[in-house]
Amino acid sequence: MTRSLAMLLAVIKKELRQTARDRRMMFLLVGVPVIQLFIFANAVNLDVDRVPTVVVDLDKSQRSLSDLRRLLADGTLTKVGAVDNIPEAERWLETGRAAVVLLIPEGFERDVVRGQRARVQAILDGSDPNRASIASAAIAQYFGSEGAILMKARLQRTAADMAPRLPQLSLRSRVYFNPELKTAVYMVPGIMAMLLLLITTIVTAMGLSRERERGTLEQILVTPVQSSMLMLGKILPFALFGLLDFAIALVVGSYVFDMPLRGSLTLLVVGTVLYLMTTLGAGMLISTFSGSQQQAFMGGFFFMLPAALLSGIMTPIRSMPSWLQPFTLLNPLRHYAELMRGVLLRGASAADLQVQLTVLAAIGFVVFASAVFRFRRMIG
Amino acid sequence: MGAFWQRVWALSAKEVRHVMRDPRTLYLALAMPIVMLLLFGFGVSFDLEHLPVTFVDQDHSTSSRELRQRLCAGDQFNDVGSWSTPSEAEARLVAGSAIAALIIPVNFERDLRRGRPIQLQLLVDGSDNSSALQVRAKMDASVRALGLSLASGGAAASTLTPPIEPRSWTRFNPEGRSAIYLVPGITALVLAIVAVLLTALTVSREWERGSMAQLFATPVGRLEIVLGKLLPYLLLGTLAVLLVLAVGSWVFNMPFRGSAPTLALVALLFLTGMLGQGLLVSVVARNQMVATQVATLSSMLPSLLLSGFVFPIANMPKPLQVISAVIPARYFIDALRGVLLRGNGFAELWHDAAALALFSALMVLMSTTRFRRTIA
Repeated sequence: MTRSLAMLLAVIKKELRQTARDRRMMFLLVGVPVIQLFIFANAVNLDVDRVPTVVVDLDKSQRSLSDLRRLLADGTLTKVGAVDNIPEAERWLETGRAAVVLLIPEGFERDVVRGQRARVQAILDGSDPNRASIASAAIAQYFGSEGAILMKARLQRTAADMAPRLPQLSLRSRVYFNPELKTAVYMVPGIMAMLLLLITTIVTAMGLSRERERGTLEQILVTPVQSSMLMLGKILPFALFGLLDFAIALVVGSYVFDMPLRGSLTLLVVGTVLYLMTTLGAGMLISTFSGSQQQAFMGGFFFMLPAALLSGIMTPIRSMPSWLQPFTLLNPLRHYAELMRGVLLRGASAADLQVQLTVLAAIGFVVFASAVFRFRRMIG
Repeated sequence: MGAFWQRVWALSAKEVRHVMRDPRTLYLALAMPIVMLLLFGFGVSFDLEHLPVTFVDQDHSTSSRELRQRLCAGDQFNDVGSWSTPSEAEARLVAGSAIAALIIPVNFERDLRRGRPIQLQLLVDGSDNSSALQVRAKMDASVRALGLSLASGGAAASTLTPPIEPRSWTRFNPEGRSAIYLVPGITALVLAIVAVLLTALTVSREWERGSMAQLFATPVGRLEIVLGKLLPYLLLGTLAVLLVLAVGSWVFNMPFRGSAPTLALVALLFLTGMLGQGLLVSVVARNQMVATQVATLSSMLPSLLLSGFVFPIANMPKPLQVISAVIPARYFIDALRGVLLRGNGFAELWHDAAALALFSALMVLMSTTRFRRTIA
């Protein structure tokens, strides 16, 4: 037993020394994750505002001027220009200089004063559907509430008994867990999940294939080190780096980005260990299938990209087509990201997250066991 | 000059043979873009449906029940149960089984009939931003619309036409399909990754194995090496572009409204730039493991995050906006959207082409000069 332990320590020591000597590697393992955390947390912002708008005011009346000014003051739309004919405004859309054309036709003020239906037109660049729908909603909402004021005034004049019966519904929202809806708070847990995958899976896969490529794996195999100790010794250092990065991200996340930790840290660590079993196992598994580092990387990448995409980190799982959604249940990244967000932001308990924990453990076991099986056969 | 091109040709032929002998690289280079295109095209969308909402009905009236029922009748919301106190509903949010809770206050029906102000409360799970924003907007719109028809019993509401009618007309993508918006971005992202990785890995492997030193012993010059490495992968990358565009139009009904020569020019410039970047990475890294990490860091992340692919550049903090100006994918995506969706030609897109030309010239130049230093 002590001999096995000594062998294990020897392999770990060799692995750590090899990694620590390569300064660029160390930078990649420790420095790069922090950079990524900063870029991701700041770049990923799906709020839509300042949509470039070109204005065509054919009415040029007091009413049209004040409506335009107040609509643009809200911040969703930003005026980038004003032209006086529609074809020219459409050119702005075609060249991408503006995404919205806001057209106030002639006679707008007259129609409003006379109580006829006044029309406003918006031509939207639909190439970004999200932006288009938000811009059109902002326009509709502004003129809707303007219209409601007008309607109320009219009703008071014509049918005095009707006016008070108009419903006055309003909805007040209270956002829990991330009241200002800060992107960083929401993204950091997801990024941590992706970083762990990048570091443990790909680095493990490439590290093992490098030894195979260079023939140093055979050299180790002729030493008395047992295969299980060799495997553990290869994996543990990267598990350690993974946990180190996890800790760094947690500290940076909470100090720099104000990410809360509302649940239990133990639960978080348990989830992370289960997740690391999967990611390290996947790395080993990929290395047994690939003949070179290049293939190992491509393989790791092939695993990582769909896993990241279908995890709900960047876009909600509910927005995926319904036939695709069940597949995401097999994705360890999805469960880990849900666990992270649950524990960190919502303060969820182990009971709330039992599905995620069970699935993570099951996937971890299957992947790890098959990796061990394949690895043994490969070196045996 | 003849000898120059002869040597470039010889190097290219060697590289092509290299790729053909191990077709796994070829498969990866051609299959990966398609797989990623399908994954992104189907997997990334921002339209949410069936949002799980829980209710706290404090009024227990016909109107409140009707509100609840009619809210969940469409595709927008799913009713996942009701609770008698807000704190019970809050626990559902913590557990993650509902993303919002609507509280209908006491006297909802009475106030609705009398036209008094009513305030409904929506508790939102803010741990997922995009869902939170959407549920808030959708609930707001639905409640207003339903309130009007509930109060008047459906009769008066129809007679009340809005005095100002805003009309929207959407061009380029009238159905608002996410895929049409995303395909150009995916094309750029995939090509950036494949191009940078291909060259970064193949060249750093030559450094690692020592075959680069053998190459230096021949009369081949550094520009010849760079071009000899670039050209075959440029061909491979062009194949990938054509494949991606074909799949995009076939599977996702991607339109092609603008000028094809402009697109071809921009695509070639972009590919050259990305391949050049891969070369530069390999020259600097000289080790496959470092090269891959640097290549992913310098191609995948910026192309995904800072290119305006999904996340609007205008919303980023100033320093990131400045960085995004040197990300070639940004110009390529703009040009792709211009040609495919907006029907642009060279007249509208020359500045994208110019930026890409500048970038690729810089990359080829830098990798060439770095080569010399490392030989000495």
